Amino acid sequence: MRFLLTTTGDSSAPDEAMMAEMGAFIEEMTRSGVLLATGGLEPGGVRMTSRGGEVTVTDGPFAESKEAIVSFALVEARSREEAIELARRFWKIVGDGQGAVQQVFGPEDAPR
Amino acid sequence: MSGTDALIGRVTSRADPPRDERGVIDAVWKLESARIVAGLLRLVGDVGLAEELAQEAVLAALEQWPASGIPDNPGAWLMAVAKRRAVDHLRREDRHGRGQERLAHDLSTRPGDDAREMDDILGAVDGEVGDDVLRLMFVSCHPVLPAESRVALTLRLVGGLRTDEIARAFLVTETAVAQRIVRAKRALADAGVPFEVPSGPDRTARLASVLEVVYLVFNEGYSATAGDDLMRPSLCLEALRLGRLLAGLVPGEAEAHGLVALMELQQSRSAARTGPSGEPVVLHEQNRGRWDRLLIRRGFAALLRARQAGGPLGPYVLQAAVAACHAGAATAEETDWPRIASLYDALVRVLPTPVVQLNRAVALAMAYGPDAGLALADTLTGEPALAGYHLLPAVRGDLLARLGRREEARAEFERAASLTRNAPERDVLLRRAATCAANAAEGIADIGGIGSVEGVGRIAGIGGVGGVEGGIGGVGVGGVVLGEAVRVFLARPGLTAGTLRSYGQTLSRLCLRLGADLPLQEATPQRVAEVFAAEWGTAAGATWNRHRAALRSFAAWAAGHGLISADPADGPTTGQTADPAAGKAVDRAAVPDARVAGLGADRAAVPDVDRAAVTGARVAGLGADWGTELAAALDRRPEPRGRVRPIARPHLEDLWARPDVAPRERALWLLLYESAAPAEWALSLDVQDLDLPGMSAVVRGRRRRIRWEAGTAALLPPLVGDRRRGPLFLTDRRPGPGRAPAAADLCPHTGRSRLSYERAEHLFKRATRDLDPGGEGYTLHRLRHSRLAHLAEDGWTAPMLMSLSGHTSARTLRELVRAGQPAEVTADPPCPPPERPRMPARPSA
Repeated sequence: MRFLLTTTGDSSAPDEAMMAEMGAFIEEMTRSGVLLATGGLEPGGVRMTSRGGEVTVTDGPFAESKEAIVSFALVEARSREEAIELARRFWKIVGDGQGAVQQVFGPEDAPR
Repeated sequence: MSGTDALIGRVTSRADPPRDERGVIDAVWKLESARIVAGLLRLVGDVGLAEELAQEAVLAALEQWPASGIPDNPGAWLMAVAKRRAVDHLRREDRHGRGQERLAHDLSTRPGDDAREMDDILGAVDGEVGDDVLRLMFVSCHPVLPAESRVALTLRLVGGLRTDEIARAFLVTETAVAQRIVRAKRALADAGVPFEVPSGPDRTARLASVLEVVYLVFNEGYSATAGDDLMRPSLCLEALRLGRLLAGLVPGEAEAHGLVALMELQQSRSAARTGPSGEPVVLHEQNRGRWDRLLIRRGFAALLRARQAGGPLGPYVLQAAVAACHAGAATAEETDWPRIASLYDALVRVLPTPVVQLNRAVALAMAYGPDAGLALADTLTGEPALAGYHLLPAVRGDLLARLGRREEARAEFERAASLTRNAPERDVLLRRAATCAANAAEGIADIGGIGSVEGVGRIAGIGGVGGVEGGIGGVGVGGVVLGEAVRVFLARPGLTAGTLRSYGQTLSRLCLRLGADLPLQEATPQRVAEVFAAEWGTAAGATWNRHRAALRSFAAWAAGHGLISADPADGPTTGQTADPAAGKAVDRAAVPDARVAGLGADRAAVPDVDRAAVTGARVAGLGADWGTELAAALDRRPEPRGRVRPIARPHLEDLWARPDVAPRERALWLLLYESAAPAEWALSLDVQDLDLPGMSAVVRGRRRRIRWEAGTAALLPPLVGDRRRGPLFLTDRRPGPGRAPAAADLCPHTGRSRLSYERAEHLFKRATRDLDPGGEGYTLHRLRHSRLAHLAEDGWTAPMLMSLSGHTSARTLRELVRAGQPAEVTADPPCPPPERPRMPARPSA
């Protein structure tokens, strides 16, 4: 099962110690074959809206930037509990903030 | 759900999350088990005890966490509790005077009573957690254990899987898994397997064993089908995880990265491998949009790391490179087949199995045309290792279809369909057979693709120990076909219902295996014998004799009715059914008429003049011969008295693990068991005959090859030592004066002579005296046959056993091996129940 772990924009700012700890954590998760991909996202980005056949592109800044996703980790876990446990370890390092754990449906889950 | 609900989401309070402690503990355990068990193993030095202590910690968590809440760092909590228990245990042992050595070894200073001081010492042990996990993998995959035990123990200790999960994944009972694990732990303890990363030449063999275990796990998951418990496909992910972990721990080993690359790339296709109703989709027809790009990218990255690690290209790297060729092609047409063919050329040099050859045939056909592939595939039809292997006829059928030889193609597809056990696959094959038939009728060009390349390698990799005589005879000869002859034979008046049913069973099975449209004269004794060996080779004597009688009756009838025309020009290549005195070729134009007449009327009258002339000329001479010859290789089953009864597996496992056995004996016995080769062969081996990395040796004078497995592979290098020539197994002392052996039997390094059969036999008898209820001890012959019996119990077919053991006659083997016959077992230890047939997997893309 794959899960996408995400954090949103209102997490506490990283300091050097936290970065080091996070680096070690990411390395360990990668080595143990759990972490498939991870990355950070630019805050906000460009907003796209499609309405009535018309696609609108809106540049930021956006008022509700705190809700935007700023980082993600794609993990291969054996159960939801395991994904949550991994996320918990992540938050132990990050400190305050919020995010989500969502199962990712792959091609194998798609209707044929 | 209304729009408002969607906006709000599921508003459940998670301030005090109702976490399921059991689920959390299980998740934590799976994440941490390898490190916890490895750390404990370093402390206590015994796998069983280490796991017991770890389990105690899990129990403590189950007791305490519901009340206290889940600790901040549950993994560390488990580790700390387990270590305390370990130290308590060591102290207790110490008081009994047994633990001193371990303590001295593991904790350079004796821990004081102060808990903090203890934690500091234990903390220092944590420094090398990664190495500990690696050591644990080497221990749990140790070659002293049988493959199934290595798999179970590794999943349990390194993967953290519960016994019931392993049982579900491998379709065996929980008891069976538990027994495997218990026995494995005991074997490790008895063998005194050290907790270390092996070095030197040993390391390669030991690493190969670890890689093999990981790939076995992967293949088990890969072979899961749609209806299976989800636990089975998840084995692929488990194997990937183990592989990634291993590659991270041995970054300099190209094959470890190669295995990871292979698994990532194979797994990337998992969603595309099956169609809407669970039927398999062959590689070239897969929707590449369903391939997992992330895993492909990871596979490429792993392959790159393998290349960077350097060294000669091993089987996993080569197979991963093949898989990468597929993954890199945007469409099936863009596949770089010449490159794949050259990779298989390299692969067949390091992994010379018939299955790899079959893959190579496919690659050659795709790269250079079906003729090239068929030429190679045709050489494999006599491979005993591939007898009963459905992908050989599937591939041949495909190549024949592409050459426009649709009738032969149809027969091959039907044969393949009759051999596969996978129902969806059978449907695919039968559809292709039908397409061939339709196209043959309409004259439409067949544009079928290649057979199921994927998974070709993962069924049976048993090395072809020299081909069995015979093979597929010339195809396309006219004459009555098998199916029609059988139909008429069974339609004769006067057959009782019982006879009809009995004959029908035999002959319908023969039709299924050989193809109902096989010209009767191509049903050579060899091919019939192969069918008999495959179908009933391990059946009870009465069954065998019944089928044999049915065949003889049919053959005599067919020969007596002139339904067979044997012709030296067009006949089977073996020549055994051909009448050397036969005249000119059958007039093919006359064949359909002859067929109709001969079958419709159930008598020898053949109206066509040409045919009558040809057939009539030889009916007298051939008829009776054909009947007896067809059953020539099928002797009546002898009395079961002479059968060698197998030695019970637990007895042998105890024997391997026995500490007082000398290295030479241990190596010889394990070699005989693993190779199932005659003791004379093993004793005749010279050091220069050995192919240690290839785990095989040439038996000179016999032009045969014997193959062993990881157990022997681990024991041989120390036995060989620095010797480069001369007999492998030597006497303990130099021969006395006046008893000079032949130069070939003398070791140029030590002056000792070759170990004699008598001496080897005596030593084995002496060592097994207490195991033998008769009190005499077992013979080496019996040891060898025990392996065959055990493999037969595991579902190996007679042709496979013949190939492995060098038995040239199915009859000899049948005498000795009967499936389902339990080995003799005294009260204890328990013998595991027979499990679902398993064959050793060999990697392939």
